[in-house]
Amino acid sequence: MSGVLEIRGLDKRFGGIVVADSIDLTLAAGRVVGLIGPNGAGKTSLFNLVSGVFPADAGSISLDGERIDGLKTHKRAKRGLSRTWQNLRLFPSLSVLDNLMVGPRDYPGEKLWRLAFARTRVERAEGQARRRALEVLERTGLVGVAKTRAADLTFGQQKLVGVARALMNEARCLLLDEPMAGVEGQAYETMQRVVRDVAASGVAVCVVEHNVAFIRDLCEEGVFMFAGKVLARGPVTDLIADPRLTELYFGT
Amino acid sequence: MEYVYTLIILIALSVILASSFNLIIGYAGLISIAHPVFYAIGAYASAILARDHGVPVPIAMLLGAVAAMLASIAVALPSLRVSGDYLLIASIGFQLGVLEAIKNVSFTGGAGGLTNIPPFLIQSVGREAYVVLVVAVAVLTVLLTRVIAHGPYWRALSAMRDDELAFGALGRNAVAMKVAVFALGSALAGLAGALYAHYFRFVTPEQFELLQSAAMLTMVVVGGMRTTLGPVIGAVLLQALPQAITFLDLPTALLGPLQGLLFTGLVLIFMFWRPQGLVAAGEFWRPSREASDVGRP
Repeated sequence: MSGVLEIRGLDKRFGGIVVADSIDLTLAAGRVVGLIGPNGAGKTSLFNLVSGVFPADAGSISLDGERIDGLKTHKRAKRGLSRTWQNLRLFPSLSVLDNLMVGPRDYPGEKLWRLAFARTRVERAEGQARRRALEVLERTGLVGVAKTRAADLTFGQQKLVGVARALMNEARCLLLDEPMAGVEGQAYETMQRVVRDVAASGVAVCVVEHNVAFIRDLCEEGVFMFAGKVLARGPVTDLIADPRLTELYFGT
Repeated sequence: MEYVYTLIILIALSVILASSFNLIIGYAGLISIAHPVFYAIGAYASAILARDHGVPVPIAMLLGAVAAMLASIAVALPSLRVSGDYLLIASIGFQLGVLEAIKNVSFTGGAGGLTNIPPFLIQSVGREAYVVLVVAVAVLTVLLTRVIAHGPYWRALSAMRDDELAFGALGRNAVAMKVAVFALGSALAGLAGALYAHYFRFVTPEQFELLQSAAMLTMVVVGGMRTTLGPVIGAVLLQALPQAITFLDLPTALLGPLQGLLFTGLVLIFMFWRPQGLVAAGEFWRPSREASDVGRP
């Protein structure tokens, strides 16, 4: 199976602590893979390695067949890799709309010389970004708070803004880090629908989540990580039913 | 009349310096104290090129700005690739190092200063023309900060200040933006330096020391950081105030320390009681203070 994102033999150590131990993982277009495991298993670290927050010691990461492991974080995003953060990392001083409008893959307004000499291109991109942001806000049920400062929203709404902002990239591969932690009620339903729709549009999605029901409902495949290693993979129901993994998860 | 012209020129130069420093410390959130050194580099480069190498003054002025810009990139690029904090350390070292170098080499005139800088416009057209030129550059600088403080560039800078990691993961290049703003701000400071040199026709390294750093910071903080008009008001006030003190007939030995006390006192007072400055920058201030509670359910 050829995937959108291919991780081969990924290693990372911080001193004596192993956060990634020859990890192989393939994310295919249109599929949602659930990454499960106890705290400290290396799930978020894997996302950080893939998105380039810190470099891997060894191994390769390819997006659509091209190596991205040597690239800086922003270059990986420009290739079509998008992610959210466990601890949100929104831009609190900006409105929800502005949070999203920072996110398009192409953003000519970040270059001073373009502001001076290519205003039409900048303005065109701004128009497109605004339309796309409003469309994403519509899908995530956030249109009503478009002008509200991100810091003033409820936690569930902030989580949705994080995902909505990640969608602005029109990414080929989307990494969601605990999208459901602290999310209840209406936002929960919306989140589930949004993730399902994104995958249905052909994006390769990977979700780190402790909410087993959410993973079971959404993911075709689960990957169980422990101490930086992939211990098991397969249908989520099988992983949940495996007493060996349950023991590792709860640490009995 | 000459006194008034000189005062207007000093105020306009301060407007250029404070507005460009506001770009760096306010909008880009880069903590640097070396702004006066880029002012000095512009002044010295332009003066030496025009005086010793026969470069026409307007071209020498532009080259002075370019020299300041190149120097700023050389300082910013290595330190900003690591983290913003390193820029402060690098800027302190750069400020002290460059001024020490100016004092100790002969082609800059050493500690005694550079004299006989060729004038521009004043003798050929008149003093008024030079006043118009400096005021025009000041107005253009303010308009330029206005463009940067609005629209997509403002949005990107604000996002970068709020969370650099998330900003990068969205595909934005934080280092490139920081270096660009730092270079632009420093080039404007260099241009201000060149405009100073060819009016007063005499520069010394002492003029660009720590007291100047304090003065520029005070202008931005008192006027209102991250506002277009704040640094303008700060610059006018802070230029007028020392001028007023000189009328008090105090011994000159006291004037320098008194100014320093005044600047630091004002910064402290404003930081405690009105951190947003005289011209408030809307909601920009609150979030950065509340940022620590964001992300908690």
